[in-house]
Amino acid sequence: MNLESLHSLLPQILLALGSTAILLGGAWVRNRRLWLIVGALVAVVAALVAAFVDPARIDILGMYSATAYARFCTVLWCLTVAATLLISCRYVDLFRFGGGEYASLMLFAAAGMSLLSSATSFVGLFLGLEVLTLALYVLIAFRQGDSRGAEAGMKYLVFGAVATAFLAFGIALIYAATGTFNLEAAAAGLQTEEGLRPLGLAGWALLLVAIGFKISLVPFHLWTPDVYQGAPAPVSGLLATAAKGAVLAAFLPLLVMTGEGVADIRNVLWLLAIATMLVGTFAALPQTNIKRMLAYSSVVHMGYLLIALIVAGDEGSRALLFYMVVYTLATFGAFGIVTTFADENGEIQEYDDLRGLATLHPRRSAMLSVFLLSLTGIPPLAGFFAKFGLFQAAFRGGYAELAVVGVIASIISVYYYLRPIIALYSPEPAVVCREVAAQSETLVLVGCAAIILFLGVYPAPLLTLVGLVIP
Amino acid sequence: MIVPMEHLLILATLLFALGLGCVLVRRNLIMILIGVEIMINSAGLVLVGASAFWQQVDGQIMVLILMAITAAEVAIGLALVVYLHQQKKSIDVGIFDEMRG
Repeated sequence: MNLESLHSLLPQILLALGSTAILLGGAWVRNRRLWLIVGALVAVVAALVAAFVDPARIDILGMYSATAYARFCTVLWCLTVAATLLISCRYVDLFRFGGGEYASLMLFAAAGMSLLSSATSFVGLFLGLEVLTLALYVLIAFRQGDSRGAEAGMKYLVFGAVATAFLAFGIALIYAATGTFNLEAAAAGLQTEEGLRPLGLAGWALLLVAIGFKISLVPFHLWTPDVYQGAPAPVSGLLATAAKGAVLAAFLPLLVMTGEGVADIRNVLWLLAIATMLVGTFAALPQTNIKRMLAYSSVVHMGYLLIALIVAGDEGSRALLFYMVVYTLATFGAFGIVTTFADENGEIQEYDDLRGLATLHPRRSAMLSVFLLSLTGIPPLAGFFAKFGLFQAAFRGGYAELAVVGVIASIISVYYYLRPIIALYSPEPAVVCREVAAQSETLVLVGCAAIILFLGVYPAPLLTLVGLVIP
Repeated sequence: MIVPMEHLLILATLLFALGLGCVLVRRNLIMILIGVEIMINSAGLVLVGASAFWQQVDGQIMVLILMAITAAEVAIGLALVVYLHQQKKSIDVGIFDEMRG
């Protein structure tokens, strides 16, 4: 470890030190909003450093990299965490969260996500994933005295711990088969027809199970709706977007390579993608709780993203990154609106409680509609371009069947995305929720909605940026 | 290596399967965490064996990292168990069934 490596890890170090400083400071100054703002500032500064300070070296101790791609992911996750902290301002007062601890854990999770997506070895990958998961265990059960939050925390703990064990055993088997922790060398080691190849493939299978748990692919998705429903809404927003995106981003550089060893993995991913899209779609249809619906929606969207991961190559990677950004904005926004609707009685989750809210809160209802319609893929919004690019990449890459299943799932998705919108705009008078949104909440959500509208009309800037950073 | 690699892999796989069985069968949260520990330790065993097989220290370093991370995970896990016990006066996973559908 020399100064150059430290300089290249500057964003992650800033996040970790900022997190520790806030934890210490929070012991003296019990001011919730102050620490949330400080946390958001630290995350934004880390994002700026990642974007504008050139790393001294690309390879850091053979564990992490500081490529344009890794830096892009870091910026994305840092900004998501900053936005999460900002929309939590009113929420933490409402439910009396410890402000310092909350902000500190969020920054710690950001450090984990950024390490995860810049990992080039299994050691770095494992470390990043655990840093993220350990912070999330606490954040999910953060609302004290809430029995659903406790239940969600318990479920995430059990599934997360089992996933960690699968990941560790998978990594151990891959190391036994190839003798290296380097991601690319380990994948390349699969291509030689030697006696140890079955061992390596078994390792990759266990690794896929662990990833399946983390990004909730069918059949490992069972925890998703319960955890999203029970966790505080801002935390669910982070779980559904950045926490999953970081895991996917870690595996994108790996699957860009083509080869026989990776081809076997691709066949399994093909099956998982189809199962994920179909099961997620049909499970989302009967939901009457917006957080559970968004959970199944995130399952389906992970299926779409898997298509891009299978297509790989330049086009697949570009489609994946573009889709990930647009999905993050829309899903985060939807959970953000749920956050703003919370009052001292709890969150508004059931469609029945959403009825008629549009007359009370026309702006927030319009924004929620924008987010949900973007997730559906209705043309003037960014979600349309994202889906179009993704399915086009699938057709060109020779995976027409995946694109067809994806299009069918998208068409069916109109039903479950429109249900909450119809409830919002139903003519009955609203009975609950007279809370006024805080300024920081409005700022973040209007920002999300504006970017979605802008990218829907003019996606070129993001497409260019994504084209520059793909590995 | 004194012990053949196959024997080591068989033992580790057995341990992993036993741990997984413990997680799936037991309803007590602490027993589930113990099952997970057994699964993770079987991974450590493979790492140490592979490290000797390939004549590298990488695997042994990874085992140390694994132990540190597992310790952190158990600390948080047990803290959650205490919190859950305060909430529901039980650590049987069967009673956590408020959310369905």
